[in-house]
Amino acid sequence: MRVGIIGVGCSKFGVREKTIQELAFEAVKESLDDAGITREDIDISVVGTSNTRGYELMPAVPINEYCGFAGKGPIRVEAACATGSAAFFTAYSSIVSGMADIAIAIGVEKMTEVNTPTSLAVGGRSGSYLWEFHQYGTTFPGYYAMHASAHMAKYGTTPEQLAMVAVKNHRNAAKNPKAHFPKEITLEKAVSSRYVAYPLKLFDCCPISDGAGAAILASEEKIKELGKEAIWIEGIGYSSDTANVAKRSGYTGLKATVDASKMAYKMAGIENPLKSFDVACLHDCFTIAEIMAYEDLGFCKKGEGGKFVEEGRSDFGGDIPVNTFGGLKAKGHPLGATGLAMIYEAVKQLREEAGDLQVELKNYKALTHNIGGTGHFGWVFILGV
Amino acid sequence: MFIEGRELTFKHNIPVTSVEKYWKGLEEGKIYGTTCKNCGAKFSPPQADCSVCYSSDMEWVEIGGEGEVECLTEQHSFPAGFEFLKEPYTIAVARFGDFRVIGWAREKISVGDKVVAETDKDETGVWKVYFKKA
Ligand SMILES: [Zn+2]
Repeated sequence: MRVGIIGVGCSKFGVREKTIQELAFEAVKESLDDAGITREDIDISVVGTSNTRGYELMPAVPINEYCGFAGKGPIRVEAACATGSAAFFTAYSSIVSGMADIAIAIGVEKMTEVNTPTSLAVGGRSGSYLWEFHQYGTTFPGYYAMHASAHMAKYGTTPEQLAMVAVKNHRNAAKNPKAHFPKEITLEKAVSSRYVAYPLKLFDCCPISDGAGAAILASEEKIKELGKEAIWIEGIGYSSDTANVAKRSGYTGLKATVDASKMAYKMAGIENPLKSFDVACLHDCFTIAEIMAYEDLGFCKKGEGGKFVEEGRSDFGGDIPVNTFGGLKAKGHPLGATGLAMIYEAVKQLREEAGDLQVELKNYKALTHNIGGTGHFGWVFILGV
Repeated sequence: MFIEGRELTFKHNIPVTSVEKYWKGLEEGKIYGTTCKNCGAKFSPPQADCSVCYSSDMEWVEIGGEGEVECLTEQHSFPAGFEFLKEPYTIAVARFGDFRVIGWAREKISVGDKVVAETDKDETGVWKVYFKKA
């Protein structure tokens, strides 16, 4: 059965004086308007939020109530920073199972209600608390910094190449009013910023953001019945890896990305990933993450990710524009929202509704790549017209 | 406008009975992993059950000798719970044969360096692994 996306929504990302319900409402409202349906048309809602920082410990029902979906689900989903993608898959599955004709995936995160040390601790506890955070004070930037140290030592990836990811994504975010940081930065400013977790500096790291995303999915039959246009889900891949970083087999890439992309490429019949997509939304929570993703997704050979960004191959006009709306780095990374903000971007691009950030369409296909933790979860979706 | 929420503190009692030897070992300067007697799978950090063959017949193995640093970071931002640290701290993963071990380093180390592992406790009384150059 084919499943299509008929509506997408995304809130403004940033430090928002809104509750988790109000943030979700912004994205849901836009997605319903976009689909041209009302809340009564939704059969089931899936609420994705990791919500390890919020005061509302079980927020799915409060969110569902506020959005007028009481009685329709909700299914609460959590997959760390890949929560939005897991919610999207759950909504897809509810349709494929025949239980729903129209499903909404909501992804939302409220991250700025606690201070930065608390946020760092929550992120660091998300690997394996007892064996890592408890003893060693691991943090989320720290885990990616460990991968950066290995990548730089083995392949000679430079701090400047890392910073080029940030410069590119900020340049794109500058044209996206929904971005947390809609402003350009210089390479000099990025490389001279202070260390957060060596070798990663402040401008190698995504901000701590509030935000929400939503997507409305429907069966092909329902889409025909409603007379709607849709963007189709052509490929899905998922994987995961160990919780303990010490139980990994290496630190220069993410196995979850490699495995999830292989699954998605097989389902969608993709043979040459570099030549198959007009746009890609990659998980760039830290600059090294985007560089590893180029390699792990097969856009370039292992170790050549630094050169890939340096040569402009992931920029507008390059082989494959990556993170055209600013990426997690500059658009922001509200954990639960991120996967659905990627779907939002991919859908807008494939419909040619991306305005100043529109890419040229040749293949009419887009890829989203969403990682939870440091490859603790991996999701890849391929969308097409 | 904001309203300050009511405070809630979690202090967890974490059961470590099945891996007590590891925690006691740290106090004696020893680092232990486990090996599955049935299929040979190796675990560091140790576990009482085998995730590969589902046997619970495990053997304690001391991890020692020279290791090689595979990745590291120097943390400049302190998470809640580590305010007692006054200086940036280095976290590394080093490979000792079949086992990888995570630890702190008190001296400057680089990826590829050969290290040995020691144990000590920090200012909060938590025992852990420390690497130093071999
Ligand atoms: Zn076994």
